[in-house]
Amino acid sequence: MAAGRALGAGGSWLRGLLGWARPERWLASSSVFPLSCIHTSACLQKVGKWEKKNRIVYPPQLPGEPRRPAEIYHCRRDIKYSKDKMWYLAKLIKGMSIDQALAQLEFNDKKGAKVIKEVLLEAQEMAVKNHNVEFKSNLHIAESLTGRGQYTKRIRYHGKGMFGIMKLVRCHYFVKLVEGPPPPPEPRKTGFDQAKEYVQQLRNRTLVHTL
Amino acid sequence: MAAALRAAGLGLLGRRASALRPPGAAPPCLAVPVRTKRRLFVPDWARELSPAEREGRLRAAARALPEDRLERAFFLACTADIIDPYVPPEGDARMSSLSKDGLRQRVEKLKQTAASQLALRKVKDHVPDFSTKTFPEKAQEIFIEAHNCLANFNKQKLHSLVTERCYPDMVRGNRYKTIRWSFVESLEPPRVVHIRCNSIVNPSNLYGQVTVRMHTRQTLAVYDRFGRLMYGGEQVPKDVLEYVVFERYLVNPYGTWRMHGKIVPEWAPPKDPIIKTVMIPGPALDSSQEVKEHKEETSEQVQRQQ
Repeated sequence: MAAGRALGAGGSWLRGLLGWARPERWLASSSVFPLSCIHTSACLQKVGKWEKKNRIVYPPQLPGEPRRPAEIYHCRRDIKYSKDKMWYLAKLIKGMSIDQALAQLEFNDKKGAKVIKEVLLEAQEMAVKNHNVEFKSNLHIAESLTGRGQYTKRIRYHGKGMFGIMKLVRCHYFVKLVEGPPPPPEPRKTGFDQAKEYVQQLRNRTLVHTL
Repeated sequence: MAAALRAAGLGLLGRRASALRPPGAAPPCLAVPVRTKRRLFVPDWARELSPAEREGRLRAAARALPEDRLERAFFLACTADIIDPYVPPEGDARMSSLSKDGLRQRVEKLKQTAASQLALRKVKDHVPDFSTKTFPEKAQEIFIEAHNCLANFNKQKLHSLVTERCYPDMVRGNRYKTIRWSFVESLEPPRVVHIRCNSIVNPSNLYGQVTVRMHTRQTLAVYDRFGRLMYGGEQVPKDVLEYVVFERYLVNPYGTWRMHGKIVPEWAPPKDPIIKTVMIPGPALDSSQEVKEHKEETSEQVQRQQ
């Protein structure tokens, strides 16, 4: 009887000891085990439109068609930098080949240059690994954009108990790489071309409702 | 004098009521137990036992309280690998069947391996209408249907034709690709070459695996995300010798034969290289070191391993 009581007491002690240590709580919530069937995986985070552009699949090309160049979309969200300052860098590399862009960004002193360089390298690796791009240097930057990220507000302390509300500014950076050499730059419009156009506009005028 | 002092001390501490202390007062030097934080607690019955005995008691207690049964039980519908894989004889399908060796190979039937015979008997116990003569055609149909589902990305049907172990091998990397596969003809009638039965977890949990040898002609073309040809060609039929393993959960009366895997022999001819060139990076060097041989960034034709 004493042993039975001891076992009973020991059992309750054991249950108390092990009560906190249930294996289900150790495992990640998105596992097979019961009691924690909360599905917390990547589907709850919204996939942006730019990332979805990498998912379109074109039908197979016929033998006579010209080879479709590969397009790779990549972006980085919520970079701690201003979108206006980032715009200068984005405009700099638009239209360059990827090697030239990487070289320019490496020796640029801005903070955003480092971030954009990382993004370009990631995109290049993605292109070779996942999107069947043959030569990693055979890419050029077709589009390069910045967008506004989510801003947070903080208090900026001034003297005499005054304060201001400052915005912590974030931006997104989007890039589209296309396979092939960069397109030749458009020739600038000369004064002669503009004059020719003006004269042509004058000549295009017609008289209506007259003899 | 010491004795007198001692007596006086004792008298002070004594329980007898005196003028200095009222009768009901607490004694002057009473140790009041202070409740501290509850640290390691060892119950009475465990204090004298050795660690081994303690473990034994714990195990007995744990058995007495079973853990809650799993509310969502998982169901193993296939084994993890091919059991005792068939070793195809070298030169299979290369030698002409008129030569002596070739004839020997053709005559080499299932009956020669005892293990396969045993397994066949076990399979026939659970699946009475299984026969080594009719099964190969059904197996080939399943094979063709599974590959057609793969080409059309019909995942629901593919799961019913292919086991869970084989499914990721078939589907990996194909999400953004277009696959065009077609079965042209069968060069030799398929035949069963190997049967094995095995069980996991319990000895009564039986799975049967049957290896079928197929010599067929197929065409395969894989296009990437942009519709460019990555591998193969649609108008190029290829002769393929395959040893396909089919598995069935024998104990389940509603089980079906599904494709479980393929056996690739070592003497198999190498596959065609992929169309694009792939760069294999060399060893990472410091700026002070130089590349020993002249292989800066040469592209090589790499055979795609599937």
